[in-house]
Amino acid sequence: MKKLTWTTAIIYGILFLVSLSILIPILNLLAMSFSDPLRVHELKGLDIFPKGFSLINYEVLFSNPLIVRSIFNSLFITAAGTALNLFLTAMAAYVLARTNFVGKRLVILFLIVIMVFEPGLIPEYLLVKDLGLLDSYLSLILYKAINVFYLFILMRFFEDVPDSILEAARIDGAGHFKIFTKIMLPLSKPGLATLGLFYAIYHWNEYFRATIYLTDPNKWPLQVVLRQFVVERDNTSLLGAQNVLSYEQVAALDFGSLQAGTIIISMVPLLVFYPIILKYYAKGALEGGVKD
Amino acid sequence: MKEKRLWFQIKRDWVLYAMLLPALVYFSIFHVIPLIGMKLAFQDYRIIGDNVWVGLKHFNVLFSSPAFLDVLKNTIIISSMKIIFFFPVPIILSLIINEVRNGPFRKYVQSVIYLPHFLSWVVITGVWISLLSPVDGGINVIRNFFQLPSLDYMTSKDHIRWVLVISETWRSAGWDSIIYLAAIMKISPGLYEAAKIDGATSLQQMRYITIPELLSTVVTVFILNLGFFMNAGFDQVFNMINDSVISVIDILDTYVYRIGILNGQYAYATAASLFKGVIGVILILSTHFISKKVSGKGVW
Repeated sequence: MKKLTWTTAIIYGILFLVSLSILIPILNLLAMSFSDPLRVHELKGLDIFPKGFSLINYEVLFSNPLIVRSIFNSLFITAAGTALNLFLTAMAAYVLARTNFVGKRLVILFLIVIMVFEPGLIPEYLLVKDLGLLDSYLSLILYKAINVFYLFILMRFFEDVPDSILEAARIDGAGHFKIFTKIMLPLSKPGLATLGLFYAIYHWNEYFRATIYLTDPNKWPLQVVLRQFVVERDNTSLLGAQNVLSYEQVAALDFGSLQAGTIIISMVPLLVFYPIILKYYAKGALEGGVKD
Repeated sequence: MKEKRLWFQIKRDWVLYAMLLPALVYFSIFHVIPLIGMKLAFQDYRIIGDNVWVGLKHFNVLFSSPAFLDVLKNTIIISSMKIIFFFPVPIILSLIINEVRNGPFRKYVQSVIYLPHFLSWVVITGVWISLLSPVDGGINVIRNFFQLPSLDYMTSKDHIRWVLVISETWRSAGWDSIIYLAAIMKISPGLYEAAKIDGATSLQQMRYITIPELLSTVVTVFILNLGFFMNAGFDQVFNMINDSVISVIDILDTYVYRIGILNGQYAYATAASLFKGVIGVILILSTHFISKKVSGKGVW
């Protein structure tokens, strides 16, 4: 145990303040979203406890068809996208990590070139347009089907599976596809979990491609709706909930609190999985050794 | 004879090629075709029929356009500000965290400072708009406490670039400190033992052991950052931009988005992003060679 000297006291103090600088703005939004709409003006920017308590903001948000729809859209895109990501990435990683075949070096070189050269926005957009994927979820799910950097990370996980197990399966007459599905995938669960989180967070947070590829608001993921409310400050579609509220309640609604509520809703899945994310993600990031 | 063996191998491994096929098809469609599509920078886009080659026309327009030069200037200023003021923060943070022994406090600090990294820039912009609100945002509450008038940072040309730098720090400093913490963990404990026997204080240990040992990691990360110099933070600017401040924070990527996607000037926008890409590659290659000359180590 270290002695409590002035230096350690200062260090603890600094780190505590740093953590507060991150927590307070988020807790303030949380407090705002749970405050009584009539008293929310009393809430100052550094307060972390709601003034009064009301669920009215969440009632309004969850009775808004656009919000509810966008949550399901986000969940669908995240689930389907991540499943496809994992399957394609794992299959390619298996072939590249655990087997030897003619042309392997060429394929890896190809992947490195792809990783380094980014074509930029317009050729991407024109391709999606030419493929007829505008206004289709496929534009989001297919476009980022495999991330080369993540592929390399998964290859490293696969390389850790002991040779003897694969050898035994081969002697028993298992083909590559069988070895991949029956042995490699079950044995690499931590690696797949890490990568699944990488991909899921990417899909959940994606808004830019959805903004340019999806013009139909019914297909928007939550982040795009959030952007509409919070960044563009466009509340026309937000206040379509008059039918569940009395006239006074609608009049009392506070736009800022509704925005805060939307931000909080979009953070919920992340906060639920945060302990798992911390466990796997930090390790995965270090294995990769590069910031993304 | 040799050719026969090659064919035999390819036939024997057909399952492997079949398993690799989806990935190769995917990369060819979604990565190679857009790369080829960059030739649009030297063409005029036609909705119907073939595009027409126009040589360097778009580049000439680009470099004689004051709008483009302003955007280039903003990109360089914002990137430089981030490198000067943001880059050292994760290093300092990792040195400070390293002074805290493993325990609940360290775990708490690390879980909190990693959090913003996982939030989208839309969410972060929401948090910051609220934090900087001129009515009752946290920063203005503090300012008012010291008898200073409220400021609307998000629409102030004098402050918005600092908002970019500081919100970037808020989001990434914690997460980026991981890589330096990992490098610190790899330093041989023997060095510290020896220093302790010689009576070095923890501050001296930091100065004479941790910082010098950390230097090669710092150089590598710095070089990687330089490679992304022209990016300047698209997601961030895209969300924080508004009419009052567009003249000082419009960067190359937001410019390409506006003239390309919103105004439909595909060819011109492609030329702008090709220019950006070429500068990026030159930066990566040159810093790589400088690093190799100076420290004997390159990026690859």
